[in-house]
Amino acid sequence: MDPETGELRKRTFVVTRFDPDKDQVPKTQTYEVACRPDWKVLDALNHIKDEIDPTLSHRWSCRMAVCGSCGMNVNGEPKLTCKTRLADYGDVVEVEPLANFPIVRDLVVEMDGFMEKFKAVKPWMIVAKEKAAEEGPNRQSPEELSVFKQFSMCINCMLCYAACPVVAKEPHFLGPAAIALGHRYNMDSRDEGAAERNEVFRGEGTVFHCSYANECSEVCPKNVDPASAVNQAKLNAVVDWATSFVVKRNG
Amino acid sequence: MSRASHPQAMTPHRPGSTRTAPPQVPDTFWSQSRMRTYLLFDATGIPYMLVGLLVLRVAFALGRGPEAWAELLQEFSHPLYLAFHVLALVSVVFVGVRFFRLFPKAQPAKLGPVKPPPRPVLHAGLYVAWIGVTLALLVVLGGLWP
Repeated sequence: MDPETGELRKRTFVVTRFDPDKDQVPKTQTYEVACRPDWKVLDALNHIKDEIDPTLSHRWSCRMAVCGSCGMNVNGEPKLTCKTRLADYGDVVEVEPLANFPIVRDLVVEMDGFMEKFKAVKPWMIVAKEKAAEEGPNRQSPEELSVFKQFSMCINCMLCYAACPVVAKEPHFLGPAAIALGHRYNMDSRDEGAAERNEVFRGEGTVFHCSYANECSEVCPKNVDPASAVNQAKLNAVVDWATSFVVKRNG
Repeated sequence: MSRASHPQAMTPHRPGSTRTAPPQVPDTFWSQSRMRTYLLFDATGIPYMLVGLLVLRVAFALGRGPEAWAELLQEFSHPLYLAFHVLALVSVVFVGVRFFRLFPKAQPAKLGPVKPPPRPVLHAGLYVAWIGVTLALLVVLGGLWP
């Protein structure tokens, strides 16, 4: 239904298809769909799968921009398809898998490389000595929390990797979300692992590959602003390196 | 409808059992408005490089004496040179505005005990400093002071 005329609007969806058992390279397939005015792109994809072509593969789960599963390139731009309104698009909508990721099938991408980068930044609390339970909880003031809270809101949707021009060219680059998460722990007053992570930041996938295109922050659906984290992490990594000449580190 | 990314982009060190298609970027990746702006930003390096070469030329002309200097000034009044200097000025303004927009959020929330000022203050401060330094240079180089 068009909001004004009350009618369904016919749209053409140009969808990337890839079957690893049959195709050498991805191809596109076109679907004509009569769309309701309140539909999101994900609604149209689900309609295609349910009513037109059950062989179409795509990831999705929560439908409320929380799980981060349904990231795809819509008309060339990385989007969470569950919060991307069809009303904002014309009659032709091109849906592709997230850019810069190997394609497993149709709109589903390989996530293992992303998980490896995540693991590399040690995204967990590192402490020299575990606190005994009797000593009570680790307390943190609202001011201490505010330093990193923004960077902890990431839902791992990988849109920032699909938007980053450096990820497209530098396979070793740790990338926006992983660096933002590492930086989040470095800024956490309860953590003691900043020196370890800064070594990772200066290592093979160095934060200094980032050219501050700011694309990651532009496409981030949760306003995490990974570009801010990456560029703060650059300065911290340099300060940490300089400090290491003056202050002796344990181990 | 896509172009290839780096073939190893986002690939795991140990490949999975399923064969995958290589990573791609949309054809439109480099022509989207934001990316175009970023590429323009990168391209401003060319006028900067040329300005650097011109500065060397100025230094050599100064070293060769008043005649060479007068000759160079005559050459610089050519419309092509004037157009180039306008382009260089536009490049500087473009990079300055972009840098000022992005600089505040690259500041650490805290560096030791020191906290940077709020982002809007930092943003405004950069513009004030830029305009102030430009005016000071105009006054000094224009011979108005001392």
